[in-house]
Amino acid sequence: MPQPVPAQIEAGVVEVLKTVSRRRPIEPTLESDLLVDLGFDSLQVLEVIAELEDRFDVSIPLNDVPTTRTVAQVVARVAALVDGRANA
Amino acid sequence: MRTLSEALAEAARTDEGYVFVANGIETRRSYADLRLASLGVARALREAGLRPGDLAALVIGDAEQFLTTLFGASVAGVIPASLYPPVAAGNPSAYLEATARIIRLAGARAVITTSALRQQFDDMRPSCPSIDVVLSRDTLDAPPLKPDHMASLDDIALVQFTSGSTAVPKGVVLTHRNLSANIDAINGPAGLGSSTTDSAVSWLPLCHDMGLIGMALGPLYCGRPAVLLAPQAFVKRPAEWLRAISRHRATVSFAPSFAYALCVRRVKDRDLESLDLSCWRVAGCGGEPIHASTLAAFAERFAPVGFREASFLPSYGLAEHVVAATFAPRGRPPRVEQVSADDLTERRTAIPKNGTAGSAVTLVSCGRPFPGHRLRIVDEQGRELPERQVGEITLAGPSVMQSYYKRDALTAATLRNGWLYTGDLGYVSGGELFVCGRVKDMIIVNGRKYHPQDLEWGVEDLAGLRRGRIVAFSAPRHGGPDRVIIVAEPSGTVPSDILSDAIRRRIGDLCGLSVDDVVLVPSGTVARTTSGKVQRAAIKARYERGELATAGVEHAGVRA
Repeated sequence: MPQPVPAQIEAGVVEVLKTVSRRRPIEPTLESDLLVDLGFDSLQVLEVIAELEDRFDVSIPLNDVPTTRTVAQVVARVAALVDGRANA
Repeated sequence: MRTLSEALAEAARTDEGYVFVANGIETRRSYADLRLASLGVARALREAGLRPGDLAALVIGDAEQFLTTLFGASVAGVIPASLYPPVAAGNPSAYLEATARIIRLAGARAVITTSALRQQFDDMRPSCPSIDVVLSRDTLDAPPLKPDHMASLDDIALVQFTSGSTAVPKGVVLTHRNLSANIDAINGPAGLGSSTTDSAVSWLPLCHDMGLIGMALGPLYCGRPAVLLAPQAFVKRPAEWLRAISRHRATVSFAPSFAYALCVRRVKDRDLESLDLSCWRVAGCGGEPIHASTLAAFAERFAPVGFREASFLPSYGLAEHVVAATFAPRGRPPRVEQVSADDLTERRTAIPKNGTAGSAVTLVSCGRPFPGHRLRIVDEQGRELPERQVGEITLAGPSVMQSYYKRDALTAATLRNGWLYTGDLGYVSGGELFVCGRVKDMIIVNGRKYHPQDLEWGVEDLAGLRRGRIVAFSAPRHGGPDRVIIVAEPSGTVPSDILSDAIRRRIGDLCGLSVDDVVLVPSGTVARTTSGKVQRAAIKARYERGELATAGVEHAGVRA
């Protein structure tokens, strides 16, 4: 399987965020903060992680959660993990 | 009746134990092994200078480490106080500040925590002068102490800082007699009817009464096994809970209503293939309002893999009553009543709804109090009300807590003439309890209780807000968790959008809670009582009627 390039990762992350935010329509940008701008609570943040793991076949440590707040940070984290898997 | 140490010693004579599941790896530890480890902790605590009657704050997320520390403290006669470990999504400094407040109130002599948090608690000493020792759990493995302290049933077994607010912490004081009375009632014939074929699975946090007492100590007190998963593993992948039940052929598992809803929503079709839930004879539900529609949806979704609706056991309880107060009868599908919404709120009467006029509220029976325990519904004057009249739920009997730790006034307001005033509203019908609201303001989201004043005090130092002119409350959301609303008076120095963001960010940092609506209102809107308290109910009513005007400085001249 070809490795996703960052643009695909970004699109995938945005799709996951939209799926998890069932309560209201959201338009995530790279600058959006999951908690403040997208209104995710801590439960939904964990759901996002589970969905991202399934989609990108990576394992996201829960320790990363407090420092991963914006969409850009999420995309960067997933990209690094996908990269790490490719180089493993 | 047994003390915790006696129950542990008895369980250690069986072949049973706990299975700890972390990161997908299962580790089985017998009660005998856990007792040995606990005796080691007891010796290490003695060697660190702790004496019987000292209070030790436990801040440990790992289940095995937490339990052996709790047992070890108990063996050494040290009073364990369980505190919440930090939440993954939160801000560590806000968490540490709230925790320091609890430690100061409790006058804890020791903090026992993980190696990762040790330094932060060490740094807390200047603001918490009671702290003599800060210990990392990793350093507490010593040769077993020969038990030299014999606790009495009336000694304090545990102080639980769970249901309390972080701004005004409440530590529930439970004796060994309390613990034993409630656990024996839960396991007894009017409760689970536990037998030698039972086993439990739980993902509930151990710093919470249902997780610690209901699902971990309950099995231990009757020498039965329990599988304990990390709470985050469940929240991340709800199917893990059901998989553990299926794999271990578990018979008993409790969770709040939201957990059943999460399974319906997030367990995928492909997860169903490997599940067989026919072993699950008691699917307990409690800890927050129970939604009949959630239970029905769960039963429908999981019937194809062997789940039986009659396995549901709705319950009512609170930490002040150890954990459980009433259980619905076993083996009966949930008993549901539809009552008229208007009569319920306006006339405080539960009248069965007939026909189509007016809106209805669907409530689930939480069953009856345990033998030797009593329940009464009372009006504001404390007079007992007849069936179908809504009033405050009060409880009496051997499970009622001793006090709130070092909070005499609060204790006196809560324990009156031998009755525990729960702050919850309910009525009795056919001898069974229906819970229908709260006397006290409380925000409950996903099974966790938040005190409005914690949110209010948590944001009041933000630039641009008028101190003390902030109100937090929740409003029901159709088919989802309650909405969280903040109403505040701005001082006019910070643009509204920036201020709203700052409020959302701070509350997210404090407790991982998402604020659904921030309303900035003109000065003087947030009314106060003569005693200076904000009138939450009045503001909430105006919000719900859409009567609140907005105020604030627009950002860079752009109107929203």
